[in-house]
Amino acid sequence: MRIGLVCPYQWDVPGGVQYHVRDLAETLRATGHHVEVLTPAEREESLPAEHVTWAGRTVPIPYNGSMASVQFGPVSAARVRRWLREGHFDVVHVHDPAPPSIGLLVCMIATGPIVATFHAATTRSKWLAAWGPVIRPWLEKITGRIAVSDFARRVQVEHLGGDAVIIPNGVHVAAFAEGPTLPGRTRGVDGPTIGFLGRYEEPRKGLPVLLEAMRAVVRRHPGAQLLIAGRGDPDAVHGLLDDDLRPHVSLLGELSEEDKAAFLRSVDVYCAPNLLGESFGIVLIEAMAAGAPIVASDLDAFATVLEDGAAGVLVRRGDARELARALGDLLADPQRRARLSATGTRVAAAYDWSVVARRVLDVYETVALLGSGEVTAQDDDPGLAAVPGVSGGEPDGAPLRTVLRRWVQR
Amino acid sequence: MTPDVWLLAVAVVALLLVVWSAWTLTRLGRLEARVDRAWTVLDTQLQRRAALAAELSRDHTDAVGEERAARLAATAREARTPLAGDRELAENALGRELRELPHGLPGAPAALRADLEGTATRIGLARRFYNDAVRDTHLLRTRRLPSLLRLHASRPLPRFFDIEDGLREVTSSAAGGGRARP
Repeated sequence: MRIGLVCPYQWDVPGGVQYHVRDLAETLRATGHHVEVLTPAEREESLPAEHVTWAGRTVPIPYNGSMASVQFGPVSAARVRRWLREGHFDVVHVHDPAPPSIGLLVCMIATGPIVATFHAATTRSKWLAAWGPVIRPWLEKITGRIAVSDFARRVQVEHLGGDAVIIPNGVHVAAFAEGPTLPGRTRGVDGPTIGFLGRYEEPRKGLPVLLEAMRAVVRRHPGAQLLIAGRGDPDAVHGLLDDDLRPHVSLLGELSEEDKAAFLRSVDVYCAPNLLGESFGIVLIEAMAAGAPIVASDLDAFATVLEDGAAGVLVRRGDARELARALGDLLADPQRRARLSATGTRVAAAYDWSVVARRVLDVYETVALLGSGEVTAQDDDPGLAAVPGVSGGEPDGAPLRTVLRRWVQR
Repeated sequence: MTPDVWLLAVAVVALLLVVWSAWTLTRLGRLEARVDRAWTVLDTQLQRRAALAAELSRDHTDAVGEERAARLAATAREARTPLAGDRELAENALGRELRELPHGLPGAPAALRADLEGTATRIGLARRFYNDAVRDTHLLRTRRLPSLLRLHASRPLPRFFDIEDGLREVTSSAAGGGRARP
């Protein structure tokens, strides 16, 4: 099958959607499909030499405290059109088609089987409520919609119309399950460790709650260590620590993919004390794949991934005392940790890319059935095609418009 | 104001209306094609399931059991040519029969079993995508201006297709993790 994947975010900037597209493409290629990727990037040279096409750069626009990237215009449209023409795809798969980016451009220009995945990494409800009706005419062209979680599906149903099939994010289970650990931090040997991963400055990640809970944990387990990995300003964390806690907390900084896996393989308990809407919680699956028992707050997404507490301990979000008790109990009970770890391994297996890609492929095969023809690019510019009088696409539009023009110009 | 200005204003409004109608007609045409395609896909998968069920009851009677094979054959026939004219009812009956088959179907060839499973998944997906297309059409057709201008008003509204299928499996966040949330 010839498959075209569209990633609307810059390839050389780390991000969930980029990794998702990269891993999906690799997995599908390994099963013998021809996969091409179209993506923007800061530098064209940073793209892999083969099967990835550069779509230009995105323009960063500050939105709601973070940066939204926008890429829209005739030059991008021309690149999209050329990619579609040269690709001869059986199906085109767009990721996050809602923002004004090449994803939306592909929806406007392509005709044929289009699949779209809605990631909804962040909720921008107000923005989507206003923008949804505007882009609806083009989203209507999507044949098969996929949402990565129930949360993403709800966002999509509420604001963009239509329904979606839920296919979760994938994880390379083997990459997390086997490999080295961090030096001097072997699980079960070098004193109990609790892991936290994420941009720790963001209050919604819940680090302050975890630090609060650590005080009680340290009283019960004097050797306990909290390992914090991720981007952020170290001074902000040091400001939250007092002298009692400081020797029990280590900042590891931002980790590479390999180091992240090693980190998850090293910790005795992984803790996700998030306070607010996480769409999916892929890190929990990675932790489970690495065999780490999990204590997480009871967000919907986390409860789904942890099978309502069967595969990890759920605590009320924001409750430091309950979190401390859960962490302390788990550190004191190696057998329970082993049980959770075994359940976690089983749960994570269902999210392995080989399983997930098979389900995505089912969607492709459903929409591209019966040789409904390959995906092509519309001949006209989308802006012009929108006005049938100009493109002449509509039987009654063109003559009427000419008549009107003559009448107006008389 | 001079009559010319009035005429111009009316012309502009008329022009906007024409452009808007033409654009909406394009959308409706596109949606119609999407509904047709989605239905073809769903219909093909349903036919395929009926054919597989017929094959199972005919060639592998031992694996299924005499009595069950007869019921399966009857429901498969009914699903292919619904006598009562209610396709959904016939497909539901067939789906129920197939779900009640002994787990793993010992005795039936693995290829047939895999085919049946694959078809069940595809039916779930195809039905979702078809109903999705129907829903989009309904939303646009029932809006005030399109129905006032009677755009596509002479064509029948497409119908939703509702059958019990393995939708739970399709929508679950992971195989095995698809229990309904309390």
